[in-house]
Amino acid sequence: MTSPLETEGGGTPLVVDDEKEPAREPDTAQLEGRSPGRLMWIRFKRDRTGVISAYVVGLFFLIGLLAPLISKLYGKSPYTVYADERPELFDSAGVPVQPNGGMSGEFWFGLEPGNGYDVFTKLIYGIRTSLMISLVVTLAVVLTGILLGVSAGYLGGRADFAIGRLIDFLLAIPSQLFFIASMPVVVSLFVSPRDETPTYVRVVALILVQWVLGWMSLGRILRGTTLALREREFIEAARVSGASPWRIIRREILPNVVTPLLVQATYLLPGFVTIEAGLSYLGVGIVEPTPDWGQMFSKASTELVLQNDITYMFFPGVSMILFVVAFNLLGDSVRDAFDPKTAR
Amino acid sequence: MLRFLIRRTLGAVVILFLLSIVTFLLFFGMPRDPGLLMCGKTCTPANLANIHHVLGLDKPVPEQYWIFLHNLVLGSNGFEQGPCPAPCFGYSYHTNELVWSTLMDRLPTTVSLTLGASICFLLVGLGTGMLAAWKRGTLIDKTVTAGSMVLSSMQIYFLGPLALAALVYQTHLFGKPSYNNFTGNPVAWFTGLLIPWVVLSTIFAAQYTRMARSSMIEQLQEEHVRTARAKGMSRQYVFFRYAWRGSLIPLVTIFGIDLGSLLGGAVITEYTFGLPGLGQLAVQSVFFSDLPLLLGVMLFSAAVILLFNIIVDACYAFIDPRVRLA
Repeated sequence: MTSPLETEGGGTPLVVDDEKEPAREPDTAQLEGRSPGRLMWIRFKRDRTGVISAYVVGLFFLIGLLAPLISKLYGKSPYTVYADERPELFDSAGVPVQPNGGMSGEFWFGLEPGNGYDVFTKLIYGIRTSLMISLVVTLAVVLTGILLGVSAGYLGGRADFAIGRLIDFLLAIPSQLFFIASMPVVVSLFVSPRDETPTYVRVVALILVQWVLGWMSLGRILRGTTLALREREFIEAARVSGASPWRIIRREILPNVVTPLLVQATYLLPGFVTIEAGLSYLGVGIVEPTPDWGQMFSKASTELVLQNDITYMFFPGVSMILFVVAFNLLGDSVRDAFDPKTAR
Repeated sequence: MLRFLIRRTLGAVVILFLLSIVTFLLFFGMPRDPGLLMCGKTCTPANLANIHHVLGLDKPVPEQYWIFLHNLVLGSNGFEQGPCPAPCFGYSYHTNELVWSTLMDRLPTTVSLTLGASICFLLVGLGTGMLAAWKRGTLIDKTVTAGSMVLSSMQIYFLGPLALAALVYQTHLFGKPSYNNFTGNPVAWFTGLLIPWVVLSTIFAAQYTRMARSSMIEQLQEEHVRTARAKGMSRQYVFFRYAWRGSLIPLVTIFGIDLGSLLGGAVITEYTFGLPGLGQLAVQSVFFSDLPLLLGVMLFSAAVILLFNIIVDACYAFIDPRVRLA
């Protein structure tokens, strides 16, 4: 930040926003300056729940990232139809013969009833697909939220009015129905309804529809934060010294909205994961044979599974609960670390 | 109050009008050929020409929209399938039935599902949330907090099939969930909706527990509550008379939004349990690319959501005397 205060700071980095003053220890000989980010990190590391959930979340991302490697070591592909390759493992209805969904040393999580995909590789590849889509959506939403929210807050006037009304309008749209209804339309923009839809088109469509209706809450929060910052002295000083609006937004405002941004983003991502899974569950998202978390749920809700093999539904189900709980706990911890005043 | 209602209703009408433009453009303006979308994979040129003719797709999009709007407000006799009275969304492309009467057919299911579930989750959610706040820091509080954390992270598409497997398919304790007319057979109506109610309200109750607890704890730290305690009022009296009322205010907002969006179509719940409500209708019409029906569902459900937003804001005045509506 190019705060005028910085020049008279005398070594200790001064904090010009409403973060805490750097901890000072006047008794020790060596004064150590701590940035707000560093303080947050120290507070976060003290929070045991937060650290554990961070590890769990990190593990999920690692699994998604390394899915091809893991399945290579494990020696199976999520696309192999074991009902054709190893018919002796299935009965006539397509249900694994062995108990507990065919769990064995060879197939760790068993086999999927019906086509007989290997559940373990299917799950890790499914996590990979879902997390990839949700990550892209979160990034797009964060960028849009910054762009529109911060400019609405900083520019004010007509821009603020227009963006504000746009947000109000988009919030009035029934989002779940909109997601479902617009999927075929968005897909038809890329391929003719007569042709088979390639998977990448479905992925792009999923990202697009979630992005269009996903940024408003973040945009609103960033607008509010920016509005409060705009009147602060250091912004005024920058303006008086001739900084362009773009520079003020980039160098003065953005560093100060990182806190609400990070906290909101950690809440947004698991939300997008569950929305994406919901769409694939309803059959409008990713479809077989591409592995996807949500699509496993749609398989799990078929009569075949409900009647014969309920073991199968626990793998996507429990892993998703674990992921969402860990991510929400992480979000709470990040918020607490940034702003220790909020009571839980 | 009246002025408030008029102003808000006008605002809602404007939003609905804009939404109808956006949705219409989405369905009929954006695809290169909406007829082809509805025609599907087994499309013959004759079928396609027929769709174009029936839906008037050969006209320019603004004119199509104008006809749509005109029919919506005034009704129309121009449809081949028959007359279409005032809120006219046209005829479903797939079933050849009036969109409006299809919506009205499906509405009772969604209303039954939503009302039953909301009574459940409000009672359970607020109850356990208040209990946890009352016993803050004890084992009960910790159990409730942890339990509601896990349950609120559950998804209907996991809990629903799980309940179906456990109660219907594996043990045969219940029949498959179904919708029966309340006036025809109240008992079947109740038993048919019991599992969907329980599943839907479990997830919502967990969320309301969390919100009620934190809202209550926040209220208990307010100054007027402290003053009341300092004056010597009992803890019970302050809790139930002072703090309780204040803690409800944020919950009313969220409840209004939730109720509106559930009434607009509890899509995943209805799909999971095969209940013929508005949400299931939306999913079905997507699979048949039934654009007239889809447009009808979207606008209808948006209208319901807006209506509930207005009701919630009006309710504020009763709960919170500080709020002035004007």
